[in-house]
Amino acid sequence: MKANVKGIGWVTSGGMGYGRNSDRFSMDYAILPRLTRAMVFEKPNRNFGRMDEYSRLGLAAVSQALKDAGLHEWNEKRNIGVIASTVFGCLHTDIEYYETVMPQDGILASPNLFAYTLPSSFLGEIALCYGLTGTSYIVNEQTHTGLDGLKIAMECIACQDAESMLAGVCDLGSPELLGMEERILPGAVFLVVEKIKEVEPTEYGQLTMDHNGDIRLNDKEVGDLKSLVQMCLYNLNAGK
Amino acid sequence: MNPVWIVDASTVTAFGDNLGQLWQGLMEGRTMVRPVQRFPVKGYHSNSAALIEDLVSSGNQSLIHTMVERVFEKSEKIPVDSYLITATAKSGIDNMEKLYKAGSADTRDILLSALPGIITQKFGLKREGINISAACASSTVALARAAGLIAAGMAESVAVCSLDFITEFVFSGFSALKVMSRGPSRPFDKERSGLSLGDGAVYILLMSSKRAKKENRSHLGSVIGWGIANDAAHITSPAKDGSGLILAVNKSLETAGIKHDSISAINAHGTGTVYNDLMELTAVNSIFRGRNVPVHSIKGAIGHTLGAAGGIEVAIGLKALEEQVIPPTTGFKHPEKGAAGLVSSKPKEISGNYLLTTNSGFGGINVALVLQRDTGV
Repeated sequence: MKANVKGIGWVTSGGMGYGRNSDRFSMDYAILPRLTRAMVFEKPNRNFGRMDEYSRLGLAAVSQALKDAGLHEWNEKRNIGVIASTVFGCLHTDIEYYETVMPQDGILASPNLFAYTLPSSFLGEIALCYGLTGTSYIVNEQTHTGLDGLKIAMECIACQDAESMLAGVCDLGSPELLGMEERILPGAVFLVVEKIKEVEPTEYGQLTMDHNGDIRLNDKEVGDLKSLVQMCLYNLNAGK
Repeated sequence: MNPVWIVDASTVTAFGDNLGQLWQGLMEGRTMVRPVQRFPVKGYHSNSAALIEDLVSSGNQSLIHTMVERVFEKSEKIPVDSYLITATAKSGIDNMEKLYKAGSADTRDILLSALPGIITQKFGLKREGINISAACASSTVALARAAGLIAAGMAESVAVCSLDFITEFVFSGFSALKVMSRGPSRPFDKERSGLSLGDGAVYILLMSSKRAKKENRSHLGSVIGWGIANDAAHITSPAKDGSGLILAVNKSLETAGIKHDSISAINAHGTGTVYNDLMELTAVNSIFRGRNVPVHSIKGAIGHTLGAAGGIEVAIGLKALEEQVIPPTTGFKHPEKGAAGLVSSKPKEISGNYLLTTNSGFGGINVALVLQRDTGV
């Protein structure tokens, strides 16, 4: 199973960026930037203001990836899907919502917050914003490599469900209130992967997946999504 | 493509812990939507849901553990080499509530990856499973993925398990959105006013026909088509023109390699909300172009079981194909425009080998599956 990497975008503690813009990519446990509409969109976006933080994070990273792949502008809806891995999903929003439920027997429960208490809600925002009608859903993996979404996206391309897919991770990190021990790198990172149309790989490289689900980039083994992005960016810079 | 067989199916709903009880309750047109005792409902738009009355958790654990025990109680063990795909919208959220109310709970159960973890451990599966979260279409997506893996020769055996249960968190949210019916929901009825919620769990084991024959497994039916599409129109409301659902259905028919006129019945999402049902009727009438293909919904009887809904409906769809009859749509009396001749308050005989089952959800997702009955060939 093969696919080309066509674009990469991210929002991490190191900032927001995309590959061909020569932005520096780093991912650690530091605090994520607080996203505003103006950072993500040049023009007004009526939905951004009402979104929860998790949705803003995912949408911003996808926006960067689409920009990198030259797919951010559109006139007609497109058969592109989004498969995103997450560990904590929208738990921060769940907490925020539940705190509106507890007083006064739920009379003050917020309908706007409830709409974002599904980890997949932001995929709807992405679909709406960029006219994407393809297969889109969330996977919660136990291995925490961040690669399960990419594997599914590659399968979608192999099965001719779509020619281009977005795949990546989106996590705000563990909510403090729950006192969980799980440590996950906060941030959102998305790749645009596409069906191979030309013999030569793109500047980022060519992905292959074997029968066991192991992923390689230009024949080099890939351990997790963060290292995959680093390998892609290395290839891009080496080719300049 | 390798043929994909369903070889085992079990359900837990308000009707009871087996598929036979569910089928009987549906065929009798009964509803299990009753006043809620599980949590206070004084401040909400509705006071009823189809809850499993004796559903209790143990200590700090989430209800997930109880539901998992019950759905697998009468099933054979999952083969240890199987892929595991679970599906849930909000299971585990009961432990977040518990944390607030009682001060302690097992927080590991709150993560959506808890469900595959619990099942992997229970059966000693060789590989770790994943959970799929796609709102109210979660289990339908899981089944589509399971079928795709087997059809492509990437897996021989895939276990799909899905569950969701109603907590105050979920109930209050649908109430706040003002999409709940005060009494039992009435899908496709012109006087419908919203949905009813319900508890549900489902387990479905899929195998390649080759593996199933080798192991002498029952053939309950096959999944021959699947399609997923997004409306790209709104976050909580469906596309009025049904464009996403039409796309998903067309994809599923294309995978199945059949035309729409081969479909003998449709298990619709049929939530009973004004906009969902209208959207579905628009899509069905557009795809089937005036052909009166029987349509039914089971949500007036067992409520909307959220992520588990699609899986439970597949189990019912297989039974309908086997019996060549679809259950009545409980709560349906006066047809919404476009529903006359399609939806019925009585069981309806069908004739044919293929049934279409569809689900839609928040975020604009639509999923369609084509089921084929065991024709003994």
